[in-house]
Amino acid sequence: MKPDDFEQRLQRQPLRQIPAEWRAEILTVAEPAAGSRPSTFGFRPAGSLSTLNAQLSTILWPHPKAWAGLAAVWILILAVDFSIRDKTPVVAEKSAPPSPEVIVELKQQQRMLAELIGARETQDAEPQKFSPRPRSERPFEILMT
Amino acid sequence: MRGPDLERLYDEHAQLLYAFLLNLTRDEADTRDLLQDIFIRIARDPDLLAGARNERAFLIRLAHNAAIDLIRRRGTRDKTREQFAAETISPFASGANPDEQTFRAALAGALAELPAEQRAVVHLKLWEGLTFDQIASALDIPLNTAASRYRYGLDKLRERLRPLYEEIK
Repeated sequence: MKPDDFEQRLQRQPLRQIPAEWRAEILTVAEPAAGSRPSTFGFRPAGSLSTLNAQLSTILWPHPKAWAGLAAVWILILAVDFSIRDKTPVVAEKSAPPSPEVIVELKQQQRMLAELIGARETQDAEPQKFSPRPRSERPFEILMT
Repeated sequence: MRGPDLERLYDEHAQLLYAFLLNLTRDEADTRDLLQDIFIRIARDPDLLAGARNERAFLIRLAHNAAIDLIRRRGTRDKTREQFAAETISPFASGANPDEQTFRAALAGALAELPAEQRAVVHLKLWEGLTFDQIASALDIPLNTAASRYRYGLDKLRERLRPLYEEIK
């Protein structure tokens, strides 16, 4: 593809030259690094907080508002959860003690229930006799009954 | 890797990397940090270059990835900083001719408005003379992607600079 006049015009624009002093500065820093342990590339040596900040920015980019919104929703859910959890025992503690009439009524119901259960137990106390028989004899047994 | 190899690498490739990084970051301090990081990384792990088929392409890829990471880290919070930098830091040398100087300033501004991915391809094609095949290899993108990014980028530059270009042609 042959470049047109516009492209040629752009190509003729000279680029800025690298500062001469950088050579010594960069090589002085780089050469002692030879043989040392490789580290994470792209992060400048800085305090742990700034490193953490840079890493968090990388993780949260490109939707920091979405992440903040999600965090807010979680905080809201936790707040609602804690408020519900706190109210339950308070309600139990504040409920009034039952009146004597209610206690008498409850005892009466309990007694009736005990009688009913006792009657049922006497019925249950006579288990049906069961003797396993061959399947071929069952129709005869049904006829007999 | 010994010192002389680092020196050779610097002498052969530092200018290219500098101009490329400066065009992407538009910040001289960031460019210096990234360039230094690249050389430190090569010094620490010489096998990186030993396994590369093309030394220059490998270094361009390192520089490109580092610059894109930096731009992403800046994110939306530093957009104003990038715009400000685009007005003050130009990747082009200053000249005596006022018309050329005006054109370069306008070109630097128009380049700054391109997405970084398009800017990278335009830079490597126009000012480093790489073919689309070499650019695709260096940036690890398909050949068609390299060509389309260049075409889109160049069209934007042409549209933006047309009045000035026609005037000083």
